[in-house]
Amino acid sequence: MIGLGRMGKLHFLNTLRMKDVKLVAVADKDRRNRKAVEKHHVKTYDDYIKLIDSEDLDAVTISLPNFLKKESICYASEKGLDIFVDKPLARNLSEAEEIVRKVEVENVRVMVGVNYRYFDSVQKVKKLLDEGRVGDIVIATSELIMDGPFSHSLVPKPVPKWWFDKEKAGGGALLDLGYHLIDIFNWMFEDLEIEFSAIGYRFGLPIEDSATIILRSRKTGARCIINVGWFSKTIFPNFNFRVNLHGTVGYASTDQFAPRNLYFHAVKEGTLNLFRRAIGKKLRYLSYTYYYASFAEVLDQFFETIRRDVQPPVLLEEQLAVIKTIESIYRQNGVT
Amino acid sequence: MGLLELANVVLTKARGYTQNEIGEAVSRALDTLNYDLNDEIDLIVIKPNLCYYWDYSTGETTDPRVVSAVIDWVRQRIGNDVCILVAEADASAMRTKYAFKMLGYERLSQERNVKLVNLSEGKIVDREVVVAGEKFVLPVNEILLDADLIINVPKIKCHSVVEFTCALKNMFGAIAKPRKYIYHGKLTYVIVGINEIIATDIVLVDGIIAVGKTPKKIGVIIGSDDALAADLVVAKAMGKSPSSIAYLKLAMKEKLGDFDSINIIENPVRLEDVEKEFPKQNYLFKKLSWKLQLQMLKVYEKITGDVIPPILEEM
Repeated sequence: MIGLGRMGKLHFLNTLRMKDVKLVAVADKDRRNRKAVEKHHVKTYDDYIKLIDSEDLDAVTISLPNFLKKESICYASEKGLDIFVDKPLARNLSEAEEIVRKVEVENVRVMVGVNYRYFDSVQKVKKLLDEGRVGDIVIATSELIMDGPFSHSLVPKPVPKWWFDKEKAGGGALLDLGYHLIDIFNWMFEDLEIEFSAIGYRFGLPIEDSATIILRSRKTGARCIINVGWFSKTIFPNFNFRVNLHGTVGYASTDQFAPRNLYFHAVKEGTLNLFRRAIGKKLRYLSYTYYYASFAEVLDQFFETIRRDVQPPVLLEEQLAVIKTIESIYRQNGVT
Repeated sequence: MGLLELANVVLTKARGYTQNEIGEAVSRALDTLNYDLNDEIDLIVIKPNLCYYWDYSTGETTDPRVVSAVIDWVRQRIGNDVCILVAEADASAMRTKYAFKMLGYERLSQERNVKLVNLSEGKIVDREVVVAGEKFVLPVNEILLDADLIINVPKIKCHSVVEFTCALKNMFGAIAKPRKYIYHGKLTYVIVGINEIIATDIVLVDGIIAVGKTPKKIGVIIGSDDALAADLVVAKAMGKSPSSIAYLKLAMKEKLGDFDSINIIENPVRLEDVEKEFPKQNYLFKKLSWKLQLQMLKVYEKITGDVIPPILEEM
């Protein structure tokens, strides 16, 4: 596992609990991050290159800042390792294309952790769509408004500096959150073109903190409206994420499948897991949180592709299309 | 027997939420306070509360429009030549240079021609203070010690550790050390200690949006010539008993305020009106239920082997 920031730690904890996955070692530059995982008796490195060169591995997970994605993916692929990487795949299209070329040459699997596809509610809406239960989709809308990199943990820690640096981050709320929603609509409707886009800078940072996008599927004609933002103080207790499909038969919304009250949901899911544990069944990790369960699920999907020796369910070409759309939106809005 | 020392606290309310309406309320509060400004004031430090990157609309940080109005008032009363600094220190999770940008203070600095100062940078001196027999050494920026006038512009908020935050707690934010989280175990003492080292001259409380159970626009502006007096009145306005708040109790015991009694001037809003409007929060219930939730989560983790998200990690 490469990177023990907030996402890296979550993947670390999830991986530790996966039965047929052996976590060999982790790498992180920060001594405190390495120290925090030592109690789990996992070997640590201060440099991912040392880790990859020293250990006998099948795969790596990469949870590094955006500006380190390309070099780390390329290095791991050169060593023949399968790769799970947090979104976004890259900071921009040229980096993404370079990654795709490289992994094709090296013939390794790369799966981007687009966890929003793996929300229970999103899976259920997708199923309704695929089964034709809402008819042809004419309009789809979506929102994902949260605190992004500014989320405040229980023990206060500074927001990593690279988030404030456009060069290192590659973008703001559009690249961070818009990525998920564009990915979901691309997965549902395919072949998206941009009809409208606007990006906002409420906080005066060099990277955008909000975006409103209208996309249209050339394949199905569905018009997809996306609103994303980092401007909300917290995601709890009202998680501001939804996807709504308005079709010729009816409509489907993730709100129909999302918990109405996160406290009741936590108690219900926690109790179910206690039962699962009691009867020796597999737990649904983090299902009590609603939000974090998708991270465990997407990682499990990656390990499943390795177990079964198949292509990942999230295709690299799809991710290239997402980055291409984002880059076009930036260009339309004069972001260089 | 000498004359009784009075601390003044002026309660006022903005008629609306435009810059002009806020400015008018700020001027009314400060004019009514009638603070004695002598003519030897060359350096003024304004200390807003910029605890994190949440902007004024959340009620968590001082509205730059309130600070702008304070700058106007200072220039009217003292003159345009006076040097005004708007100062804040880095915090455990917040870096001042980003907060100034994100919360509208860089724009304020350009528009109003005032300097922004990061109190965690520059000349820092260690100051020793004894609070209730306990000795602390707190790093302080020399600018605060050199200032002729310190105007403390705090928020009205509930606080997860010390129950409520206003003028005294805002000065805790002025301690130069960024990782102030280390003081949380002795927060009550350190809040009193830093206020013994750095005395606020004028308090101008931004209660435009107050935070209790939720944020709420209440349009309140409070002026005072004593930080402890301001806090005692604000605590009451929030529906709290000041003696139940540990650091206020300690501050009173340590005779932090230089007063015998408080003269509350209600112009035009009354204390009971503010109390009615404030979105009260049951602190004890919130604290206990949060602790209980965390404990239950840990037990659940132990039994099932499920994961606790890293964002909930404790020290």
